[in-house]
Amino acid sequence: MTITTEACVTMSSKVNIPDLPKYFQGKWNKKSYHVLRELGRGANGAVYLTSQDGIKRAVKVGIEGIDILMEVNVLKSVQQGRDSRVGPLLCDVDDLVLNGKPCTFYAMEYLDGEQLDHYIQRAGTEWVTVMIVQLLARLDILHKHGWVFGDLKPENIMVTQSDKQVRLIDFGGVTKLGNAVRQFTEEYDRAAWHAGDRRAEIGYDLFSTAVMMVRLMVDKETWKSSLGDPRETALLCDIIRKSDRLYPYRVSLLKAFHGKFATAGEMRAELLAILRERTVAAMQKPKRASKPAGKGISGLFVASLLLLAGTLYYAWFM
Amino acid sequence: MKEATLKQILVVTDGCSNSGMSPVAAASLAREQGITVNVIGVIDKSELGEKGEREIRDIAEAGGGLCDIVYPQQLAQTVQMLTRKAMTRTIHQVVNKELKEILGDSGIEELAPEKRVQVAGMVDELGEKSSLNVVMLVDTSGSMKPKLSAVQQAIHDFSISLHSRSGQSRMAVGSFPGKHKYLDIRIPWTEKVEQAHQITSDLAMSGITPTGPAIVEAIALFEQVKLPQSLSDRYASMEEDDDHNGSLRDHVF
Repeated sequence: MTITTEACVTMSSKVNIPDLPKYFQGKWNKKSYHVLRELGRGANGAVYLTSQDGIKRAVKVGIEGIDILMEVNVLKSVQQGRDSRVGPLLCDVDDLVLNGKPCTFYAMEYLDGEQLDHYIQRAGTEWVTVMIVQLLARLDILHKHGWVFGDLKPENIMVTQSDKQVRLIDFGGVTKLGNAVRQFTEEYDRAAWHAGDRRAEIGYDLFSTAVMMVRLMVDKETWKSSLGDPRETALLCDIIRKSDRLYPYRVSLLKAFHGKFATAGEMRAELLAILRERTVAAMQKPKRASKPAGKGISGLFVASLLLLAGTLYYAWFM
Repeated sequence: MKEATLKQILVVTDGCSNSGMSPVAAASLAREQGITVNVIGVIDKSELGEKGEREIRDIAEAGGGLCDIVYPQQLAQTVQMLTRKAMTRTIHQVVNKELKEILGDSGIEELAPEKRVQVAGMVDELGEKSSLNVVMLVDTSGSMKPKLSAVQQAIHDFSISLHSRSGQSRMAVGSFPGKHKYLDIRIPWTEKVEQAHQITSDLAMSGITPTGPAIVEAIALFEQVKLPQSLSDRYASMEEDDDHNGSLRDHVF
């Protein structure tokens, strides 16, 4: 058995990808790229901003070609319907030679924008629900193609500069429905919150989405205090109860925590309905307190009922 | 090709070995027997030092595996990622070897990228479906003490990850140095680790770090994997007609 020895790969701490030359050409498709700057690093490789015949392209290069090719596999499958703007469009897959070694890369459409949490920080929390609703539409498409995004977090979501559209970036965690999630971040991971396993299900993405919604609505200190040990969704419920911004969405969030939505579209419709209702209510009675006591208690009651149902469900399931 | 079993040893340590045979030699011994060795260095405030880093790298390289150096908070995530990537890599190497036999010397690199994307999809699927046995070796020498609660959490977390796979998965956990031997088995082969398990209790506190001997003892654990009845039946029947899948098993086993 002959296995070529490859240099040991360090990942989350230091991704050591050799620097790209200023200009390079693909071995197969012969497209030439001019490297402008590095855009970021993921677990599978680094992304560079390049110019190819005057068009801006993002190029991802990895140490292990197979990981890069797996991402291409997903991007391709999602792009079968061209109008489905889930992620960046794939433009080229090719090899380049780095330090005498062949290295696989792919080029994609360059999305000019900022990552979701930075955008919210600048634009305000009133954008959170709007963006989550958009995100759920993207996820719905992904799920219908038989994939789960897996590593959902604000860093992997981009808001485009020009038209404020949500796009998913970094497809390294995207997993076939039913398989084990390929990549995750504990903060948004269902298993780390003790709310289920790591099987790629629609509910896995919706759980992350709900956690992200909480995270984006509250300030950093409140969020950090919730990351206690053991990590339980009850901590998130505490935050939701105390936050005027999250409180109206409590039932939907709880349903997402407990895997009660069958599809992203279902969760999206619920959030949209609440958003609309709130907008109308705010117009009619602008001075009204957002959280009357009676409503709060009934909400808590619904929450506890749902929690009980969830517990029973899990008990039965095991 | 579906029934391959991947074997891995995952070493979690925070420094250099200082007792017994070289861990790099032990790792190459493991690899010789079809077992991949991955290493995670856990650092706290103090750095590993150049020597420690080099040893970690050398063990992984000799063991045909991957390595990473992380803080305790990143441990759980890293364990899952390293294991998965090492699996992918092993399968990729086997598939590549098969391809070389078909295509001549060049193998996968000589395929057009479009074709390789398809191979990647196949490798991914094989990785998900194949059986996986992992022995986690935890360094419990003095300096690791403050990091053990993170390790314990990572063990439980890893069990969830394994449980979420479609293929059969089994793990065992050992700590080194052991009380009377180099290695104490803390959790024997299991499919699911209960959270309540305390790795921190009843530890042999000592300054020695016998990483090499611990790896050698872990290799022996793979000879004792007992298959459940239903599975061993399946394997027995498979062995009779393993013309089409035998080649892969030869490489991986």
